[in-house]
Amino acid sequence: MTDPATDLATKPAPGAPPHIEVKAVILLVLMTSLIVAFLLYVMHARGVFEVTQRLVLVADDSEGVIPGMDMTFAGFAVGRVRLVELAPDGKARILVDVPRKDAGWLRVSSVFTIERGLVGDTRIKAYTGILSDPPLQDGATRTVLRGDTGAEIPKLVASARTLLENLEAMTRMDSSLNASLANVQAATGRLSGRYGLLGGALGGDEQARKAMLALDRVNALLASADRRVFGKSGIADDTQAAVVQLNVVLQDASASLKKLDAVLAEAQAVGNNARIATDDLGVLRAEVDSSLRKASRLVDEINRKWPFAHKSELKLP
Amino acid sequence: MPINSFLYSKPRHWGGALAHYGASWWRMLLLGAIALVLAFSPSTYTRAYRRDTARQIYLGAWQVLPWFTVLSALISLVIIRIVLVTALSYGLSRFGLEMVVRVLVLELIPLAAAMFVALRAGMAFNAAALDPFAGDTSLQAAWQLQRELAAQVSANAVAVLSLAIVSSVLVLVLAYLNVYGLSPWGLNDYTRTVGRVFEPTVAIGFGLKTLMFGLAVAVIPAAAMMEIRRFGRGAASTMQPGAVRLLFVLTVIEAASLAVKYF
Repeated sequence: MTDPATDLATKPAPGAPPHIEVKAVILLVLMTSLIVAFLLYVMHARGVFEVTQRLVLVADDSEGVIPGMDMTFAGFAVGRVRLVELAPDGKARILVDVPRKDAGWLRVSSVFTIERGLVGDTRIKAYTGILSDPPLQDGATRTVLRGDTGAEIPKLVASARTLLENLEAMTRMDSSLNASLANVQAATGRLSGRYGLLGGALGGDEQARKAMLALDRVNALLASADRRVFGKSGIADDTQAAVVQLNVVLQDASASLKKLDAVLAEAQAVGNNARIATDDLGVLRAEVDSSLRKASRLVDEINRKWPFAHKSELKLP
Repeated sequence: MPINSFLYSKPRHWGGALAHYGASWWRMLLLGAIALVLAFSPSTYTRAYRRDTARQIYLGAWQVLPWFTVLSALISLVIIRIVLVTALSYGLSRFGLEMVVRVLVLELIPLAAAMFVALRAGMAFNAAALDPFAGDTSLQAAWQLQRELAAQVSANAVAVLSLAIVSSVLVLVLAYLNVYGLSPWGLNDYTRTVGRVFEPTVAIGFGLKTLMFGLAVAVIPAAAMMEIRRFGRGAASTMQPGAVRLLFVLTVIEAASLAVKYF
């Protein structure tokens, strides 16, 4: 008995197109190579083959940060978030893989921000101000700043509310601003009165009138004083005569002083002579002293000689 | 017994109907398991089996591939253009490309490929149901049927995979050309976008989903055919065998994939 399977296998299918097996193999190879190429491309796109260095960003809030998202520098992706974890101190640690070829853009002075707009996803951005700084080390940890539009809105609303309350307080009927404006109005009303600025400054027309009276009296006083001081036989004339007399007195005093000067010169000469005389007196005294000592020695010599000699003895008690 | 007959039957027949329904699903799963075992057993790959599989792959994939690729490219082009222009008009152009890749490559293309192959597979089975072996209960006929079914299951799975992967790659190229034109300078940016979309879970989900589409399309019509052989076609049923169940299973797979990816 023959195997029916063998029979069917050897029997060619009726109306079969040529090279079916070759075509099937081609299709299988094409499919497999496409799948492999696609896998490799996705792995390349995910950065599996890149040599990277690690950067750790520490944030208060990592909302919106997901593994796989990009970190950009000047709009270009220079890193990819690998992992987001919660540190023991309650901060979020965002581990970013930066390809070595892009790591040159990140320096020790670089600043990192997380920005979340109203529309769209969260973005991590890097800013480098000084590109000549030393490059960022592998495994460096940096604190990330938040630039969050959503978080700013409540603050903005709170500030706006305070501003509006202040504005409302300023524009109330009993507000200081209104009172100030009323005062300004009163002041300008006074300015437009009979005495103008003076009335405004002094607080009323009555005061301004008194001030004008006082001014008139001061004027009269000044005229009288002028007459008394600078008029004929006034204080100014008397003063001028006194000054002339004083000049004469001063000249006399000057002559007296010159005489006193000559007397002093004389006295100086007398002083000099007295000093010379004093010097001579010293010499004379020295000579007298010498003569006295000689006479004394002579008397002693005579006393020791006979018959005047006497025995010198000491008697003890 | 179809599910609608279950609803309209008397309550005392519900137990039997449920048992019948469960047994039908079980036979389908069994056939799927047998097909997988056959596909992974080296002894299956006899010359006859290889020839049959090659013929089925030729019919299911090789003949369809150009038409399906052209059709999917045209429809994709329209969808890409609509998405990109809309995104641009809302100032969200950086999300347009990502959306195109997510919607077309990850979701629509595999589903369209599965549907297309299912349609063709159903037609093929319908034709097979009228073949000279119909109603023949001899050993030779049983052997032939088993071999053909196993070959058809493998071929359909391969067809779904190949249609999906070829169209996906084409759509990726079309999306690039639409956004950046013929310039090669957008390649880095584009690669990063694709990398962002194909996270490990998404990529694994994409592969698993396509495989399961392939299996569902391969097994469900075959199981339905076996049932027709065994129990005969229902009097009122003019539908393609297993079509409702296939649609249901495809929907469940798609929904499960979406749920895993986005929730």
